[in-house]
Amino acid sequence: MASDAGPGSGGPAAAQGALFELPEELAIDTDVARRVMVGFIRNQLHQAGFGRALIGLSGGIDSALVAFLVAEAIGPEELLCVMMPYKTSSAESVRDARLVVEKLGCQSETVEITRIVDGYFGDGDVPGDGGKSARGASQLRRGNFMARARMCVLYDRSVPWSGLVVGTGNKTEALIGYTTLFGDSACAFNPIGDLYKSQVRQVAAAIGVPEAIIRKAPSADLWPGQTDEVEAGFTYPELDRLLFWMIDKRRSDEELIVMGFNEAAIARVKRLVAVSEFKRQVPPVAKLGPRTTGVDYLYPRRRPGSARR
Amino acid sequence: MKPLRIALAQMAPVLGALDDNIARHHETLEAARAGGAGLVVFPELGLTGYQLQDLAAEVAMRADDPRLAGLAAAAGGMSAVVSFVEEADDHRLFISAALLEEGEVRFVHRKLFLPTYGLFDERRFFAAGDRLRAVESRLGVRLGIAVCEDFWHLAVPETLALDGAQILINVSSSPGRDLAAIHEVGLGTAASWRNLMRTYAQLTTSFLVFCNRVGMDETVSFWGGSEVIAPSGEAIFTAPLFDAGLHFVDIELGDVRRERIGLPLLRDERPELHLRELRRILAERTDMAIDVASEPSAPSERTEGIMRRARQRELG
Repeated sequence: MASDAGPGSGGPAAAQGALFELPEELAIDTDVARRVMVGFIRNQLHQAGFGRALIGLSGGIDSALVAFLVAEAIGPEELLCVMMPYKTSSAESVRDARLVVEKLGCQSETVEITRIVDGYFGDGDVPGDGGKSARGASQLRRGNFMARARMCVLYDRSVPWSGLVVGTGNKTEALIGYTTLFGDSACAFNPIGDLYKSQVRQVAAAIGVPEAIIRKAPSADLWPGQTDEVEAGFTYPELDRLLFWMIDKRRSDEELIVMGFNEAAIARVKRLVAVSEFKRQVPPVAKLGPRTTGVDYLYPRRRPGSARR
Repeated sequence: MKPLRIALAQMAPVLGALDDNIARHHETLEAARAGGAGLVVFPELGLTGYQLQDLAAEVAMRADDPRLAGLAAAAGGMSAVVSFVEEADDHRLFISAALLEEGEVRFVHRKLFLPTYGLFDERRFFAAGDRLRAVESRLGVRLGIAVCEDFWHLAVPETLALDGAQILINVSSSPGRDLAAIHEVGLGTAASWRNLMRTYAQLTTSFLVFCNRVGMDETVSFWGGSEVIAPSGEAIFTAPLFDAGLHFVDIELGDVRRERIGLPLLRDERPELHLRELRRILAERTDMAIDVASEPSAPSERTEGIMRRARQRELG
């Protein structure tokens, strides 16, 4: 079912040297997608009364694509890319992030989060302010803390920059819950949140994201050598296909098995999706009064008078 | 015969900004007049924006609202179709499309089918209209006016054509979705609509005028692609996707006669047959209705009896 795709093409290309693997059912018209996402960015900013935006640029493909889309929507001079490495972040991440900044000609800043994170967890023999519980914290806790530290930096920087924070999470990771709540998923709006990772790659290739970024193994880079695909136990094309047929095309387990998906994989992905439902929704509020936000007080986010100016 | 010049106002209304949108309608009417239009068509809820939710009640107007009368006056010697949230005397809210002619609101069509599935939630906020009829127009032909989802039900274009419409007008706020490389224009919604409209124009041997909005409300993008289709089913004009614009299209109303003489589908329609069979189907459905409120293990006595008789008929 899967075909290899060259830059910007939905069709098969020579397997050798193909930038990425694109399952054919996930191929989209990148011109239309780009048009919609760029319009969405402009519209969201305009409605909120902002002319500028900022993103956390990691060196990975998701934030690189969003940087390109924002630059196309409002011009690179109105975009601030903030790089927020931790001491163990790979040199490759920083290098690739710079590549995006250079190619776009946008503003950038680097804010190291090492002291913020180490200040809490401690560094070597130096204890942190998080006390004993923080000292032996797992990689997961540390990773989540880093993601949230970046969110704090980004939201703080949004004030002097006078811009909105644009989200960079994709549909695949949102569906399986491979995000940190109030961390990397925190944003004012997200233009790529309905694109599977394979589709992110397709649009990234079409819009001119540097090849090195498209080629490398996706990683949250929360610890050295971490890669998404090793952590999840799936390759993105496999996972994207399964999610697409399961969710977008409403195929039952039986139908998915007939299609050739592995039974255990189906069960595992279904569980990941169900367990992470809370990450995709606004926190619930106990219904008490006559009109409750999100329940029976239902207004568009943006309406006349809602822009800050 | 002088061609009829249609102006398609493929615009992006501002959500909830009634006064701004009214002003834009006035400007567009002026531009349409300057361009020599005889018929100006605005998109669904062009006066209010689409994703209104609880704002609907705040932007609602009665059909006799002076602001609509103002637009009717501005339309002057043209025919115009505008769409707004209509509040009825009994305070139901409708998604309505009004025909403005000769300085007055001549006719109001209330959207019949309110999609409440997928990304749509119209029934929560609006009441469904219950009248479907073509309207006499100063253009010399009857018009059949419908709103968006109305055209996803076969009976609507058919009924309008049988009621004498020669120009079917559909005003829409169709959200673009189902992006895939397999679709003609990269967008599943656009591909489906194009199929529908060509088919309707041909089967009713009528002109079909489709005005769809552009811009975004909240998360959804409206795809535009407004069209005019000839009674032969051929597209005479297709507006670009996603771009706002006022587009002028000339049509020969004589094409309806030519098409209907050559391809007398409408002459051969059998509304009496349709009605008879519909009556039968309705009667059967009513008799056969399963009581959904009861437990599956405890069907009503009436239903049981009907099922038993049906089985006996089958066996007999």
